[in-house]
Amino acid sequence: MININNVSKDFERSVVLKDVSLHVNQGSIYGLLGSNGAGKTTLLKIATGILQQDHGEVVVNEQVIFENPHIKNNVVFIPDVLYFFSQYTVIQMAKFYEDIYSNWNAERFAKLQQLFGLDVNKKIQRFSKGMQRQVAFWLALSAMPDVLVLDEPFDGLDAVIRQKIKNLIIQDVADREMTVIISSHNLREVEDICDHIGILHQGSLILEKDLDDLKSDIHKVQIAFKDGLPTELFNHLDVLHKDQRGSVLLCIIRGKDQDIAKHISQYKPVVYDLLPLTLEEIFIYEMGGVGYAIENVLV
Amino acid sequence: MFELDLRSRKPIYEQLVDKLKELIINDVLRVDEKLPSVRTLAQQLTINPNTIQKAYRELESQAYIYSIKGKGSFVNALAKNENVEELEKMKDELKKLIAEALFLGLSTSDLYSLIDEVDDVVGGGYTND
Repeated sequence: MININNVSKDFERSVVLKDVSLHVNQGSIYGLLGSNGAGKTTLLKIATGILQQDHGEVVVNEQVIFENPHIKNNVVFIPDVLYFFSQYTVIQMAKFYEDIYSNWNAERFAKLQQLFGLDVNKKIQRFSKGMQRQVAFWLALSAMPDVLVLDEPFDGLDAVIRQKIKNLIIQDVADREMTVIISSHNLREVEDICDHIGILHQGSLILEKDLDDLKSDIHKVQIAFKDGLPTELFNHLDVLHKDQRGSVLLCIIRGKDQDIAKHISQYKPVVYDLLPLTLEEIFIYEMGGVGYAIENVLV
Repeated sequence: MFELDLRSRKPIYEQLVDKLKELIINDVLRVDEKLPSVRTLAQQLTINPNTIQKAYRELESQAYIYSIKGKGSFVNALAKNENVEELEKMKDELKKLIAEALFLGLSTSDLYSLIDEVDDVVGGGYTND
C-alpha cells in the first residue's frame, strides 16, 4: 500500500534521512518509532507528499504521491503541531474538509459529535490543546481516508479519549482496511495496537518487523548450574547479552523458545526460566549495538 | 468475553490463542459455536484486527476451529490429540515434583507405591473412560 524506497533528504547541510526504505501493507497499523530528532516527522511528511525527497521514490497505492491530488484525496495526515484556520469554528472547518475530501461522510461527522461531545459552533482555537486534537481526529475520521498518518497522535489526550480514539481507528481498520502509520517515541502507547514496527535512528531505519515475530524471536533466559557453566553451552545460541548475577546467569538470546529450551535442557540446569521481552527491552538490546543509550530516552 | 494483559511480555496473539484454547477445552465455547467476529473482538478488546486474524489462523491450523467463508469461525469437534500439550505440561511439572521428592529423601519404591495408591483411588474411572 505504501512503499518508500531508498529515500534520502537533506535540509541545508544536515542530513535528515539516509536511504530509508519502508513498507506498509494495506489494513496494517504501522508504528514508526525513534528517538527525538531521528527523522520521524520528515519521513511522514515525505510519505504523505507534503515534502519532496531528494532521492528515492514514494509510492502510495501504486502511484507517486507528490503533487498527486487523486491519491491525496484518500490520505489524511494529522501533524504533531495542529493547524486550523484562525477564527474558524468546527463546523466551518468541517465544511472546508468536505470541499477537499470527496469521501466526506456527514453522517459520521454527526455521530462522532455525540461521542466527543464538543460544540460545533465554537471557535477551534478557543478549545484546549487536548480538545483541539480531538477535533483533528473528528475531522480526519469523517473524511474516510484509506491512509491515516498520525504524528505523535496521543500527546495531550487523557486515557479515556485515547482509548476511544484507538477504538475508532481499529473499527476503521477492521471495516474498511484503512492503513495507519503512527509515529511515537513512547513504546507503550503503540505496543497494543500496532502489528508492524519500524525503528528510525539518526535518519536510518534500523529495524522493520512484525511486532509478534519481534517479541517471539528474542528471549530473556535465567539459568544456574550446579557445577559451574558448561563451556559448550552457548555454542549454538545467538546470545545478545550476558549478565552474571551471583550464581545465576541472565542472558538475552535470539531464537525460537522451543529451540532454546531444548538446547539448554541438555545441560540440566538447576534453575531455568525463559521469558519473552517487553518491547522496551528489545529496543535496549537491539539498539545497544547501534551505540545508543535508548533507555534514557524511550520511557 | 475475556481480558488480555497488554502489559504482559507475552505477544498479544499468543495470549489470544491460549485464552481461546482454554475456552474451547473447558467447553465454554461448544462445538460448532460461532466465535466472535474479528471486528467485534477488535473493538471489544481495542487491539489490532490483524492480530486477531493471526490468532484465528493459528487456531485453525491447530484444528481448534474451522472457518466458513463469509460466515465466520466455528469451534471444531475436538480431535483426540487435544490433550497432548496439557500432558506435556503435566509431565514437566511431575518431573519437577519428583526431583524435589527424591532430593528430600523419598525412595523410588516409595514413589511406585504412591502411584499404585493413587491409581487404586482414581484408576477405575480411567479404564472405563
